[in-house]
Amino acid sequence: MIADFVRILRAADIRVSPAETLDAAEIFDTIGFDDRNILKHALGQTLAKTEMEKLAFNEAFESYFCLPEEAPPPMAASQEEGETDDKSAEQNSGEGQPQEGAQEGNPDSGEEGGTPSDSANHSLTEMLENNDTAALQAAMQQAATEAGLANAKLFTQQGMFSRRIMEAMGLAELEARIRQMNEGGETEEADKLREGRARLFDAVQDFVERQIAMRTKNAGRLLREDALSRIRLSNLDKSDMKIMRELIRKLAKRLASRHSRRRKKAQRGMLDIRRTMRANVAYDGKLFNLAWRRVKVERPKLIVLCDVSGSVAAVSRFFLMFLYSLDEVMPKTRSFVFSNRAGEITDMLQEGDLEEAMENALRQYGGGSTDYGMSMMDLAEATLDSVDKKTTLMVLGDARSNYGDPGHLVLKEFYERAGRVIFLNPEPETVWDTGDSEMKKLGAYCTHKQTCNSVKHVERVLDDLLRLSS
Amino acid sequence: MSKQKTARGAIEALMAGYEKLGYVSDDQIATALFLAQKLEKPLLVEGPPGVGKTELAKATAEYLGLNMIRLQCYEGLDEGKALYEWQYGKQLLYTQVLKEKLGDVMQGAETLDESMTRLGGFEDVFFSEQFLQTRPLLEALRADNGIVLLIDEIDKSDDEFEAFLLEILSDYQISIPELGTVKAKKPPLVFLTSNNTREIGDALKRRCLHLYIPFPDAARENTILQARVPELDDGLRANVVNFVQAVRDLDLKKPPAVSETIDWARTVVLLNMNVLEADFVKNTLNVLLKFKSDIENVESELPRLIRESQSPEAAAE
Repeated sequence: MIADFVRILRAADIRVSPAETLDAAEIFDTIGFDDRNILKHALGQTLAKTEMEKLAFNEAFESYFCLPEEAPPPMAASQEEGETDDKSAEQNSGEGQPQEGAQEGNPDSGEEGGTPSDSANHSLTEMLENNDTAALQAAMQQAATEAGLANAKLFTQQGMFSRRIMEAMGLAELEARIRQMNEGGETEEADKLREGRARLFDAVQDFVERQIAMRTKNAGRLLREDALSRIRLSNLDKSDMKIMRELIRKLAKRLASRHSRRRKKAQRGMLDIRRTMRANVAYDGKLFNLAWRRVKVERPKLIVLCDVSGSVAAVSRFFLMFLYSLDEVMPKTRSFVFSNRAGEITDMLQEGDLEEAMENALRQYGGGSTDYGMSMMDLAEATLDSVDKKTTLMVLGDARSNYGDPGHLVLKEFYERAGRVIFLNPEPETVWDTGDSEMKKLGAYCTHKQTCNSVKHVERVLDDLLRLSS
Repeated sequence: MSKQKTARGAIEALMAGYEKLGYVSDDQIATALFLAQKLEKPLLVEGPPGVGKTELAKATAEYLGLNMIRLQCYEGLDEGKALYEWQYGKQLLYTQVLKEKLGDVMQGAETLDESMTRLGGFEDVFFSEQFLQTRPLLEALRADNGIVLLIDEIDKSDDEFEAFLLEILSDYQISIPELGTVKAKKPPLVFLTSNNTREIGDALKRRCLHLYIPFPDAARENTILQARVPELDDGLRANVVNFVQAVRDLDLKKPPAVSETIDWARTVVLLNMNVLEADFVKNTLNVLLKFKSDIENVESELPRLIRESQSPEAAAE
């Protein structure tokens, strides 16, 4: 059961290691089912280890270990309760013989399956009579495991699984008991049991439904995330934006953790004479420790120019999201957006949250017709002085300049000064240079040019950028 | 069944015991403490500053009647400061003494081999307990009757140190190359606290129970104040709690923590106030808030906050 629960947690994006699963099993042993609240806290503390995970955990716990609803108090229970108890006790002792016979008659699957916890001691009948919800719940979970509910994937399987679970919980025995009561003339008792059975059936059905829903929901989300990361950005639905943003955030975090340190790359084979001499002064000038030349891999200084004009409206939001996450990974980024004139939005990205920054940027600069020439000039005015070999200029746009000046001469200046110029074009390479696309002219002054229109692309580009920058 | 009943009982007993010591816990915290003792696992406590993470470890030590060793983490903390160090100076002195005796030792040694063996006999002495300067972690492992080890603000330490802790936390043992492996006589009860200034590594998290302590709700804060500042009368205490809770809802740089609530409540007692007045609150906001912009922020809302703190029902409507 724990293994099953862990599987659900994993599907809900909580990372659970096998060692933690073992801990959870131990906790089950010490705490058990009785106190649901404590069980929840305890499992939460072992399995979910960040705030986000705790939230997801609580949700999963609530739906997985949800108690069958408390049965309404049996009618007239108040005055009869003591009596009924006595009666049932009497029945158990008095009718011991036939009952045993019945049990032998149909080797009861519920008993046979034998739950490790206390529910093994109770037959289904007793649990229903005593209205012992905790025990019922435990038995239900156990039965679900036996019935292989974990493999259920389709809603159509619901009926079958409910039936199987009921059987595993000892339905046969219960029915035998009811029949026996009916024959013995205890119709009232039998009715009560029958009522309990109906209630139980509802609970089981409910339980199965929820379980299946939970599994399929999570599986669906994972599938969706994967698909989204491949999908063309212009095809993105607005409702998917939220998941997308989450995805980009994950991406940025992954990249940041991979590249957060400044690295040094040794160049074996080239002796760094100056450092060697200095290091060996202590040894009287004898060359004891050799120092090799190495190259510092600096994090790149990045200037991004992003097109937000009408022609790329579909992807400009994505571009901005990308800029925003870039800003998190590489703090030295300066971001510009343009449609006919370019404007800097670095501060906007740093201050506001993504949503806000995106709206601001689009309102202020977006929507106009493209003018690459003017925008390049603006950019040059603002940044050209600070461009050096460590700088990477990245242009995000479709290179469609409405037959105006594509600004390639300005780009040339950047190209001559900067370490690299990268052009990311949302259009596939086959349509470059068709119509007003000036990819050929602009592309001449780029070190890389690439199609970039899905999250997968973005990740690859960013990773290359961070790794290769030297 | 009985085993499970005792779990519940034990947890309730824990809560009562801590309350007697002035630490007001809740279900969540008590469960974590119970598990930490039962499973002998370290407990990683996270939460905003000032919600009583460190206090929890202190109270535990007091409750169990154990000593507590505290290791405050900071950037650059390494094993030399956390675990053990060789007493360099002492070793040097010893060498000097040995030098003088060297002639006696070597007397009669015929071959080089023989003298080497004799000298070798001293090597062990140099790297023995005698020259070992124990630091908090090693001390914790060597404690005879168990001990409470508090590793405070683990998020301030470096990644390397975190990795270095792994062996201690999972097996309660540590390897010293010269001496071998030191195993804990009795596993210490380990608390790690973190303010979440950086994400703790997965490997470390995996080995710990994880407890998140948020800001307390009004009822719990009330109980805490009752335990900590008993001089404050009921009505005023409720006002103080309501006020602080409302302030936390504002958009602040650093919302007031429990410790600050306690300080403020003490201020109220000290200045003999009977009711929260605007002037008084304005003058003592600096107890509660630590940023100028926060104070200005709250001041502008002061009348509303005070009104609501006196009649929370009206505010709810």
